[in-house]
Amino acid sequence: MRLSTRIACLIIALPPLAIVVWLFFVPFLSSAHLSLLREDQWSLRNYYLVWRLYKFDVLYTLWIAFFSLAAVLGIAVFLCGYLRLYSNKAVEFLFKIPLFIPFVVVGHAMRVLLAPKGTLNAVLSQVGLINMSDPPSIAFGWIGIAVSLIWKNLALAVLLVLGAYRSVDETFLEAARNFGASGFRQIKDILLPMSKASLAVAGAFMFTSMLASFSVPLMIGSGEPPQMVMIDVYYRINYQMDYGTANALGVVSYILAMGVAGYYLRTISQK
Amino acid sequence: MIPRTLRMAGVVLAGVIIFGPLSSLVIWSFAEKWYWPHLFPQQVGFFYWAKVLQGDMLRALTDGFLIAVVVTVLTLVITIPLAYVLARLPIPFKPLILMVFLLPQAFPQLPVFVNSTTLLYRVNLGGKFWGVVLIHMVGALVFAVWTMTAVFKSVPETLEEAAINLGASRFKSFYSVSLPLATPGIIASTLLVFLYSLDEFTGTLLVGSPFVLTLPVYMYRTSVGYELQVASISALMLMVPGILLLVLLERYMKSEYLSMFGRI
Repeated sequence: MRLSTRIACLIIALPPLAIVVWLFFVPFLSSAHLSLLREDQWSLRNYYLVWRLYKFDVLYTLWIAFFSLAAVLGIAVFLCGYLRLYSNKAVEFLFKIPLFIPFVVVGHAMRVLLAPKGTLNAVLSQVGLINMSDPPSIAFGWIGIAVSLIWKNLALAVLLVLGAYRSVDETFLEAARNFGASGFRQIKDILLPMSKASLAVAGAFMFTSMLASFSVPLMIGSGEPPQMVMIDVYYRINYQMDYGTANALGVVSYILAMGVAGYYLRTISQK
Repeated sequence: MIPRTLRMAGVVLAGVIIFGPLSSLVIWSFAEKWYWPHLFPQQVGFFYWAKVLQGDMLRALTDGFLIAVVVTVLTLVITIPLAYVLARLPIPFKPLILMVFLLPQAFPQLPVFVNSTTLLYRVNLGGKFWGVVLIHMVGALVFAVWTMTAVFKSVPETLEEAAINLGASRFKSFYSVSLPLATPGIIASTLLVFLYSLDEFTGTLLVGSPFVLTLPVYMYRTSVGYELQVASISALMLMVPGILLLVLLERYMKSEYLSMFGRI
């Protein structure tokens, strides 16, 4: 390349790079830096506080992320199998809708639906399924968060898994059918094994996004422990101005996302 | 084959799963009086719609819209040339540059944005319009760089070489050959960026509060303040652009773009 072209490229690349480096890369690194400072002294006290105060919250977050991911993938594998084998355009379209509904709206909708005096309990009480003086609460607990995350991510999962299933050649399925394979067997023995790689990428991505979910637990969390980690970070800053512990907790969340992030970065950059 | 009735049952079930949670929003937005445990409100009307459309919400709506327009224009202007360069030229450190634009996707945003907020306050942009624009651009750039690089890669290089062989400059070949061919992809990417900015919550809450208010943050505040009608109306307003996109563009959009929308 000529020197002038090189300089032109540099000028072109500079503004977007500068923004992302300034407002993501540098703050990302300063998380690590600030997490090791306590009253301007190097110390591990922040991490000790994270261990003492938030170890159950970390487990709680992991539990919600794993549970939701398992549910989403479990449903998507069979739903997409049905859509791939028997094709149902209406159902396929319906499951695309949540893609376009932002997380905050999902949080609010689920809050209205699942609260103790929410719409779902009103419906159930009409048919006498619940005790009206002591309505059960699904929102304000881990199930409410999980349901919201599952609802929103299912759309993404259906899109990705169905894409992978569609790229499986029809002849494999025909061969299986000729030997008398049922729909279930076609999914389990052909579609699923042949789209394992795409499923892993989709799963990795959704796991990080669930781990890092903030607006959903903020909307339908209980406000009391146990909380999801992102809420802890936010409260630590907002109510206690404790940047040290908040950043230590942030670093813990990066490490949780790291294994998955590494995998994700590798597969993407191979493309 | 699956019988027709069973297929219809499937459609109904999917409809309940998808519209169930959303329908409560619609009912709440029209409810003027609704005592528990009645299935439907005692009194319905447009009272809250009328109230909401003159108050704070209108400001949140217009501010959010303005921010989204500015973010989209700026992002496009600085991303199109970069995406072209990344797709075509053997520039140094290319993997590293692409890596920088992947990081914000791969790690939790909130703990990073907490520190970004400190940095923005240091240059006096915290709680300001331009601070919110900048924090939106971090996410928007990631979406835009990746989609548009893919778009330019899909335009055959031979067409440009033909133009260059016929005496066009590199800029001319970009402007009158690659750019028009890439337009559909650029439009998809533009809509993605616009919707991202319109729906962005975390960054706006941290950087903008309490001075810059967009619709998602407004909805969050009213929802946790138990102004359920107001919050539900805001939620419905937030859904409109996305649903419009889905209905109008679903057929033209490749699934990789659609999947990006799922991350908002």
